[in-house]
Amino acid sequence: MTKTIRWICEKCDKKWIHPVEKCLYCNGDIKKQIGTNLKVIGVTKVHAPSPLHPIVPYNILMLGDENGNRMPKKTIKDYNVEDSYEDKADSSENTVAVVKIKYDFYEAVKEALELMGDVEVNENTKILIKPNLAIPGYSYIGICTNPRVLAGLIQYLIEKGAKKENITIAEQSFFVPLEKIAKKSGIDNVIKKFGVNYVDISKTEFEEKQEREFTFEVSKIVNDFDLILNVPVIKTDMIVGIDGAFENLTRFLSKKTFDELAKDPKKAVSALTLLPKIFPKFITIGDASIGMQGNGPGMNGVPGFYNLIFAARNPVVHDKAVQEVFCLRKLPYVELAGKLGFGDISNINFTGNELESLRRDIKQPIGSKLIKN
Amino acid sequence: MTKFGTSDKLSHQLAYDASLAALNNADINFNKIDAVVCSTIEWFFSVEKQRHFAGMLSSMFRTNKPIIRVPGGCAGGGHALWVANQLGYDNVLVVGVEKLMTCKSDAILDEFMMAMDSRWEQTEGMIAPASAALAAGVYLNKFPDTTTDDLAKIAYKNHSNGFLNPKARFYGKKITLEDIKNSKVVASPLRVMDCSISTDGAAAVVISNDKSDIDIVGSDLSTGRLAPFESKDMTTWDGTVITRQNALKQAGLIPQDINFVEIHDAFSIVELMAYEDLGFCKKGEGAKMIRDGVVNLDGKLPVNASGGLKAKGHPPSATGLSQIYELVEQMRNEAGDRQITNNKVAMAHNIGGVGGTVTNHVLKRV
Repeated sequence: MTKTIRWICEKCDKKWIHPVEKCLYCNGDIKKQIGTNLKVIGVTKVHAPSPLHPIVPYNILMLGDENGNRMPKKTIKDYNVEDSYEDKADSSENTVAVVKIKYDFYEAVKEALELMGDVEVNENTKILIKPNLAIPGYSYIGICTNPRVLAGLIQYLIEKGAKKENITIAEQSFFVPLEKIAKKSGIDNVIKKFGVNYVDISKTEFEEKQEREFTFEVSKIVNDFDLILNVPVIKTDMIVGIDGAFENLTRFLSKKTFDELAKDPKKAVSALTLLPKIFPKFITIGDASIGMQGNGPGMNGVPGFYNLIFAARNPVVHDKAVQEVFCLRKLPYVELAGKLGFGDISNINFTGNELESLRRDIKQPIGSKLIKN
Repeated sequence: MTKFGTSDKLSHQLAYDASLAALNNADINFNKIDAVVCSTIEWFFSVEKQRHFAGMLSSMFRTNKPIIRVPGGCAGGGHALWVANQLGYDNVLVVGVEKLMTCKSDAILDEFMMAMDSRWEQTEGMIAPASAALAAGVYLNKFPDTTTDDLAKIAYKNHSNGFLNPKARFYGKKITLEDIKNSKVVASPLRVMDCSISTDGAAAVVISNDKSDIDIVGSDLSTGRLAPFESKDMTTWDGTVITRQNALKQAGLIPQDINFVEIHDAFSIVELMAYEDLGFCKKGEGAKMIRDGVVNLDGKLPVNASGGLKAKGHPPSATGLSQIYELVEQMRNEAGDRQITNNKVAMAHNIGGVGGTVTNHVLKRV
């Protein structure tokens, strides 16, 4: 839920809107103050478009909370002073929660999950987290899943009752040793900090699964968990359009399957479309804190400051929402998945922020023969 | 200072022109200058493609003397003057310049928005007019006697003054009160004509330990948080209050001693709030200042005789020094048709961001 966040010194009550760890004045410890009882104390309707906010008019509300703290909030909906402001959580399949990160990745991940109806976790829940560690890259260039997002997610799961022993991070790279990527991205520090398990998928057993004309070799690891959390970093992709919920699943496949699909991009798109059918149900948490635009998903892409977390139960809904928010051209695999009934992409329910308040241009991936205007 | 408006000159050329004029006015040449303090923002979207402005000025001034660049947002000029005052040199040239009009207006909005907090404000669409509009909304709710007509009158007063200023962007251009009231809404309740006008331009000042006809008797810089939603009261900007108190204390003066003022009227509401924050009236009584004509050119306390940012124009880093230029012209009785008669003690109030950096300078004719 939309909330104000402040960081307050426990000793001298100094207050920050930015996260700090110790007080500069008295070296006191810092506690977080969260405000959720939000009321509109000011409104302006903006009519001037700007590059990050091209759709006008939009409203900016000044929200005040029960602690006397304030925060601005962009919305298309009209409000009056004194109105209450509250986001509605929705656990339906066609819901995507989109949350802006107010410096605090834990709060943003928590908010996104709560808005999409939350995850059920207890001390026995076995949780598999699949980040994107396909190519080596530092955390600030949008190549890999942001370690702060991953840390926020793990912290949230543990606070909800999960045991660290039951949380596993799994990934493989088809190009570079995984340890190298984990180190460069900073993910290895997160794994060490929380003491969670870490698995290189390439070293797991694979089993064949047939779906339509395709035979996939799929890691058996996906069968061992109660909850799978798919955590791609949102990147443009010259071949398939977006590295999102679907593309991130490809690294549950064997290298042999991946190489076969990579030979024929058109077939790859068809196969990509079918991936959600061959895996147990999962939730996608799209990391668009720092994503990628242009000719991604590798070093030819350009980092983009998006400052968003997406969360959805349905991967088709997730990737369609990403395409719509960033005004990207239609994605063949998403359209096909929609036609096959894997998700209702004609009626996506945005919560946290409205689509029209989020929409902005980013650099399109150019050169894909698969994606037409 | 150069004329504010749209110029075909580059930043360093504008800075050179303003510097030459200031040196001539001070009747010294560059050999006597010990250091230069300059301010410019260096716009990302600009087609100038020029960075390292201090190095560029070294080339223009053919010098190896220290040149310090002070980027202070829209308070760059005032900030540079305050820094120059702290240095302890005998003679310092202070120059502020902006070459803004090579950017499209949406790019300018985006650039200005970068002075807002990136996560809390920019991502929520907080362009600069929206930030001022939210303050205006809260102000109008808190003080319902004040109306948008009062804001329009402030803009009209500044346009009337700018009409008379040959250096102003709107010099000789007639703008009526109806033009202002009927202009398009940018961010409700603020209209286009409640907003200052971005321009190119440069202004320069020479400060010296030598005897002069005008003294800087108060000079203060303070900071007031990047995001105005953090302030205790959204209708008051702490930086304005603190710099006023400090500058007047240095000068041994009270607000009522000030004869005329240049206020940072980035938006009409900002000028209204400044009447109060600068101590010229009580909180909630700013509208009376404009209704009663107190702040008019022939009023008891003329405000923005130059036309202000509204009508003279707002090349951000040059604005603060152009305010000093106006004070000096007025004190020397060189202001032509907009000359103020009671002109011995004056104040310049310059804001960066939405109150994040504020300077206040008090000048006195010797």
